[in-house]
Amino acid sequence: MKQTNRLGERFDWTLAFIILLFAIVSFFVIGSAQTSEQYTQNFVLKQVRWYILGSFIVAMVMYFEPDQYKKFAWYFYGFGIFLLVFLMLAPGGPGQIAEMRYSAKRWLHLPVIGTIQPAEFIKTFFIIGLAKLVSTHNERSLNRTFTTDLLLLGKIALMLVVPLCLIMKQPDLGTSLVFISITAAIVIVSGISWKILVPVFTFGAAAAGGILWMSLFAQDMLDKFGFSPYQFKRVYSWLDPYSYPTDEGYNLINAMTAIGSGQLTGKGFLERVVYIPENHTDFIFSVIGEEYGFIGACLVITLYFILIYHLTKVALSLHDTFSVYVCTGVIAMITFHVFENIGMNIQLLPITGIPLPFISYGGSSLFSNMLAIGLIFSMKFHQRTYLFDADDND
Amino acid sequence: MKRNQKKTEPLKAGQRQHIAFRMNFLFVAIFVLFSLLIFRLGYMQIVKGEDYARSLERTEEIAVNTSTPRGRIFDRSGKVLIDNEAKNAITYTKTSSTTTKEMLALARKIAQLIEQDTQRVTMGDKRDFWILLNPVKAAEKVPKKEQAELSKDDNKSQKDIQREINQLTRDRITDEELATLSAEDIEVLAIYREMMAGYAYSPQIIKSDGVTDQELAVVSERLDQLPGVNTTTDWDRVKKSDSAILGSTTSPVEGIPRSHVNYFLARDYSRNDRVGRSYLESYYEDLLKGQKTIVKNIKDRTGKVVETKTVKEGKPGKDLVLTTDTDLQKALEDVVSNKLLRLKQGPNTSALESAFLVMLDPNNGEILSLVGKKVVKDESTGRWTIQDYTYGTFTSAYEVGSTVKLATMLTGYNEGAARIGEVKIDQPINIGGRYKRSLFNPNGRVALNDIAAIGRSSNVYMFRIAMGLGKATYRPGQGLPIDKKAFDTFRENFAAFGLGVKTGIDLPGEYTGVTGTETVPGKLLDFSIGQFDTYTPLQMAQYVATIAADGNRIAPKILKEIREPSPDGEILGELIEETPVKVLNHLKNSQAEIDQVKKGMHYVYYGANGTASGLLAGAPYTGAGKTGTAESFYYTGNKSNPVIPTINLSHVGYAPADKPEVAYSVIVPYISTNTKRYPSATASEIAKEALDVYFEQKRQRNAKADGAYPDVRIQK
Repeated sequence: MKQTNRLGERFDWTLAFIILLFAIVSFFVIGSAQTSEQYTQNFVLKQVRWYILGSFIVAMVMYFEPDQYKKFAWYFYGFGIFLLVFLMLAPGGPGQIAEMRYSAKRWLHLPVIGTIQPAEFIKTFFIIGLAKLVSTHNERSLNRTFTTDLLLLGKIALMLVVPLCLIMKQPDLGTSLVFISITAAIVIVSGISWKILVPVFTFGAAAAGGILWMSLFAQDMLDKFGFSPYQFKRVYSWLDPYSYPTDEGYNLINAMTAIGSGQLTGKGFLERVVYIPENHTDFIFSVIGEEYGFIGACLVITLYFILIYHLTKVALSLHDTFSVYVCTGVIAMITFHVFENIGMNIQLLPITGIPLPFISYGGSSLFSNMLAIGLIFSMKFHQRTYLFDADDND
Repeated sequence: MKRNQKKTEPLKAGQRQHIAFRMNFLFVAIFVLFSLLIFRLGYMQIVKGEDYARSLERTEEIAVNTSTPRGRIFDRSGKVLIDNEAKNAITYTKTSSTTTKEMLALARKIAQLIEQDTQRVTMGDKRDFWILLNPVKAAEKVPKKEQAELSKDDNKSQKDIQREINQLTRDRITDEELATLSAEDIEVLAIYREMMAGYAYSPQIIKSDGVTDQELAVVSERLDQLPGVNTTTDWDRVKKSDSAILGSTTSPVEGIPRSHVNYFLARDYSRNDRVGRSYLESYYEDLLKGQKTIVKNIKDRTGKVVETKTVKEGKPGKDLVLTTDTDLQKALEDVVSNKLLRLKQGPNTSALESAFLVMLDPNNGEILSLVGKKVVKDESTGRWTIQDYTYGTFTSAYEVGSTVKLATMLTGYNEGAARIGEVKIDQPINIGGRYKRSLFNPNGRVALNDIAAIGRSSNVYMFRIAMGLGKATYRPGQGLPIDKKAFDTFRENFAAFGLGVKTGIDLPGEYTGVTGTETVPGKLLDFSIGQFDTYTPLQMAQYVATIAADGNRIAPKILKEIREPSPDGEILGELIEETPVKVLNHLKNSQAEIDQVKKGMHYVYYGANGTASGLLAGAPYTGAGKTGTAESFYYTGNKSNPVIPTINLSHVGYAPADKPEVAYSVIVPYISTNTKRYPSATASEIAKEALDVYFEQKRQRNAKADGAYPDVRIQK
């Protein structure tokens, strides 16, 4: 019963400092990005506001103990699914609650609160739900067998399929991939035997590669599976943007030109020349790459890596499986966002609407990340050290 | 705390290890992914960084056609020769992502606002438009069955088949169907086709002729509803002088000349730019063209231009001030035209077609006046009328006769074939039984020094110089073996005067004349008296100016000053540059030799036996000159009588004699088909009248002001 009583010591200052660094980077980069004057608002001030509101979210989430999240996990998951179903059924006409934008139905336009993107929040709910599922399963079947592992995998798959289908329908490929990567990370840590994981992941990779290959060389086949030519175009504009310089290909060319022309040291604050639409959100990394060059881009990536490293350390220090799985989910979510967002800016991955965590402008995205980080704070805050000692003495 | 303890399952040591391993595995995977990002970034930013930086310079900023006016052209006194006239224009700029549907809708809107001339609409346009308006009916033109039939041919690519179907569709549109296009449709089409004709990001003029103020106002008011449409000022190039050397420009409809597409495109022109096509407009294109506005197009997600930011403001072209004086030019043109018309009324003038007069300042090469006139029959009235042929002064060449003797004499001094004051005997010479003689001395035997040889125009004196050059020994009645190198020696020396070479005038298309290829001895003698190679009137002017300027050959120039555009339209803009005096070379002759020739030229006008003796009698100025008569051949182009022997008259000189301020050359080619009787004084008369005009205008200017040209006032 010797839980540290001094609040200051229980608070994760390192994590807070890392987030503060991200906030500073975010303000600077958005400050530069908005000079392209695509919109007339001052996004920096708004982002400062989001960060302040985000801190409240962290504080709120931190207040509750991990056990409480575990207890209510299914409600969170259920609420997430409800939001998605609601979004799907809500009227999408102009001026209505779920107005379509860029020909996708991803946003809820709420009075007072403003526009939110439910999928952003659902990621965290999904992580909690999945962590609950896996930890409960592992608690019950203490003697792991091939059969229990398969059963767990089946349950996980079932849990993934529902939100995945709903998000695919919006359509939102990026967020779907986030769900898949969160699931994959938790599956790895869940302790399922490699004998099952290796074939499953191999099959998954082969399927993804196969679809990609077919979209290039066997489109007739994909046509029969219900893919549309629009999706092939996406692949083309990713692999060869110069020959397909429309929409995404055009953005990709611009982002690459921006980042590439930043060279080693970059052009300096506000010295950007390439115009990229939405460069304060999805293409914010192009601003970093162009203004601060290779050095600046690497520093930002390193900062993410430090964050991931810290989260991994936290996960390893935790004692209950539920918290470890939540941590894993959060790591996977942030990693995927970072990798996909930077990757799409530098032609490593196709373009999807995935923001760069903590840096891109946007309330929904920042809240979602703060929600997730709040969980980590909570775990650290409510951690009991006596168990750790007891464990070692076991 | 008890409750919590129960709920939270503590980790067993084995499970802990297990999880730790899996977490580390995940962590390593993430490390690999992040390394991938850094490698890729390193490749893009460090390895390929420069390529991207370079491609950036090319793609992001676009020079657009804005209505920056071309530079104006003035004469030396500030008179406008070529002006810009502003007119309203409605332009449309399409982007790379604009669809035909959007353009059609826009054209419909515009059609309601303006009246568009439909004359340029072609049948083909109408057919395409009909297809655009009736997609369903158009698709029925070539039924699926037939399309399938066409597709069967394996030799054709998908593209070929589509082209064939399109062609068939077009061909099958009936006239009745085309007639369904209403008058409004045609007007929409007229606008639509102009919009289609533009290139992405380059403003295309939809209408610029006869845009009423009302049209401009209604379109301007609705610009926010008409994306890509703009109202601007377009400029019409207006020539206020009919001189051909001013040149011409292409119209925006013609765009850059097809023959030089790549040349212009490489220099940031767009295809519908107005460029100089000939003479001054073409030669000084770089100065006259304005600097285009460089803009950056701000695009939204879909590539639509949402805003255009100006990176660099456009600038109007530079104004050019020419060396010519419009008053002088006009008066001299009258002199030549009147003379030509009068001559043409005389007998034996079937070959006479043109006359030239060039007047320049020997001290700096400034061309005061270039006059070239052609006499042609007006088909409608059957009368002789005068056409401008200014460019003939440097694009056509003639045998000029004795006017070259100054060069022959100086070549003689130079090459040791004559000495100052040397006396030679002028008597008809007999080469292999053929006689060659001086005009003034058909049969006699006259001793002449060099001054008199020029003054009286002795052919034989020149022949003897030529013989000296050719190292020939003259034996009357026998052949004259010569050293053929003498031709080269002669031509090299003549080139130092600008004869047979480019004068270096700042106009394109200069001709250097015909260089004879025969090397028989007789031709060397002919060369020495201007009967072999041909020279342009401008070359002749440079030649005599070189002597007047004591041996400095200066490139003639038509551009005097480059100025900024006039700030207020009242006075000329700020002087940027005065074109420098370009001395091309200096004669090898001594000052004494040049002076000796000048004395000979003085003798021509004032000597008792001078060939133009008394020409300047009573004139308030002095001068020195040389006359010339050449036997030439006129090529009729007529098979039965292809070549007629004719006479060319020429005259060169400078004035005043002691301190030359003008040098001039006159050539009247093919003046008569009767080689015995012709108005032999014509060229001299033109020279005299030109001098009278020049000095009279100078006197008036001096009387009016302090002598200098009031060169800052613009005179419209």
